[in-house]
Amino acid sequence: MTTPVTPSPADTVAASPAPRTPGALLALYRLVLRHQLTRGRLALFAAVTALSVALGWIIGRASDNQVQDAVDTVSALGLGLIVPVVALVLGSAALGTWVEDETLVYVWLRPVRRVAVAVAATAAAATVVLPVTVGALSLLAALGTGGDADAIIGTAAGTALGGLAYTAVFVALGLVIRRALLWGLVYVFIWEFFVARAGDGAARLSINSYAASILADLSGIEIRLADRGTVTSYVVLGLVSAVAVGLTTWRLSRANVA
Amino acid sequence: MPTPLPPPRGLAVPPDATVVVREVSKSFGSLVAVSEVSFAVGPGVTAVLGPNGAGKSTLLRVLCGLTKPSRGSVLVAGGNPRTDAGARARIGLVPQQDGVFERDSLYDFVDLAATLTGVQDRPAAVARALAAVELDPALDRPLGAFSKGMRQRAKIAAALVHDPSVLVLDEPLNGLDPKQRRQMIALFHRLGEAGRTVLVSSHVLEEVERFGTNVLVLAKGRLAAEGDFRAIRALMNDQPLTYRVGCSDPRRVAAELLREGLITSCTVTGDRTAEITTVDAITFRRRLPAICRAGEVRLEELSPLDADLESVFRYLVGP
Repeated sequence: MTTPVTPSPADTVAASPAPRTPGALLALYRLVLRHQLTRGRLALFAAVTALSVALGWIIGRASDNQVQDAVDTVSALGLGLIVPVVALVLGSAALGTWVEDETLVYVWLRPVRRVAVAVAATAAAATVVLPVTVGALSLLAALGTGGDADAIIGTAAGTALGGLAYTAVFVALGLVIRRALLWGLVYVFIWEFFVARAGDGAARLSINSYAASILADLSGIEIRLADRGTVTSYVVLGLVSAVAVGLTTWRLSRANVA
Repeated sequence: MPTPLPPPRGLAVPPDATVVVREVSKSFGSLVAVSEVSFAVGPGVTAVLGPNGAGKSTLLRVLCGLTKPSRGSVLVAGGNPRTDAGARARIGLVPQQDGVFERDSLYDFVDLAATLTGVQDRPAAVARALAAVELDPALDRPLGAFSKGMRQRAKIAAALVHDPSVLVLDEPLNGLDPKQRRQMIALFHRLGEAGRTVLVSSHVLEEVERFGTNVLVLAKGRLAAEGDFRAIRALMNDQPLTYRVGCSDPRRVAAELLREGLITSCTVTGDRTAEITTVDAITFRRRLPAICRAGEVRLEELSPLDADLESVFRYLVGP
């Protein structure tokens, strides 16, 4: 079956432009969002909220220095552990689940810009992560400080910005590596929770440090290794989020899809 | 846009080709899944046939842009589907894997496909696609609760909803009952007749034979043959071919054919029929009428017995 090559439509005709898909971003956002809420995750959210309320109540009742203790607890346990763990569970599953159950193909093959998929997945995960973590930690701050407005606002802002950055990073992680949940936990516990607290150099490479800096600045409470400045922290956390979305986009465009 | 390609070796590209695969190889580490495969297909149904592990799914994934070929190139509807969203918009894929968005309803699943491909009148398109696979749009239980056959039909509906010009179906009949299989095969034929390029893979010979006669046969990652399987068989002159010969004196004809060394075996199956095996089909077919005339034997029938797909497949792929 060897005949001379004849030009054919497939050779010579430029592909038709991709159709406009104005509802794609919203459709993808909704798709990720409705797959985020499982019974296990709802149990995790309930546990996080209960733990935060309990800690706030204990600090409010037992502490001699309520504001300092509450802010320290939010910084160490909230921003250092609760926020990254919740962001990891939801973020790594946003696209990671589709890789594992081989459903990514139903999104990947469509003529949708990769960045739309990355933004939709990150936004959907953040839609769940932020209310849960901001709500729980704000409750902790409110109960622990006896209603100190600056501490509550600082907690909400630090948690929101830190939560967004963690979520974006873990959405990318879920796409880039298998067993993202396991490796993410290793990162959270070893790097964010321990190593980054050891010294200023490591802290500069920690999301927690910038989120805590926002908390420290807005609450007016000094937190160890959290002196990056509010503007710097906003910029860095915003950049981390943007770079992570970019990484997700890049990875999607080069993915080997099952 | 695709980069200029080196001159292909021995690739016939029909003028109406919508899918052109040129010297595509795909390796996973040291495993070569697809090796130097080239073909071009146009509208109609083309079956991709091969045993399990032959590289069918990998080839179809490369064809859809889901994975980058290690070598070679793919053009679908004028574009590289890996990088060209316009080309991807013209592909409908039914992947082999069973996975679907299990928490979605049937309607949501198909509607998502319509939304992401920019379908204008989505409700009408979804209704058409579901009607084509005979699924009730009102089914509101999640896809995770569907039977395998229903999921398979949901996947086909999602692939059809934007009316793609190239439909790629990887083992699409898995999980379907015989009636559903007949319906889906009829659907694929209708789509082919309507000018769609339908590429459908299977490892089940009986299935492929019903898809039509145009096949791509893969064996160990290589394209073993392509085209009409009857024509492929006819070209395989180095393989023994068995004919049924109907004539007024089969013993006499067989004796003369044996004397001339044209046949390797003959079984007389009746007073007027014999099954004759030859390794030189062309000479055999040319000489048989002359031998009959010379012996004043009336030739009534000459038909190949193993020109079916199974025989072709057995010869190409091995037992």
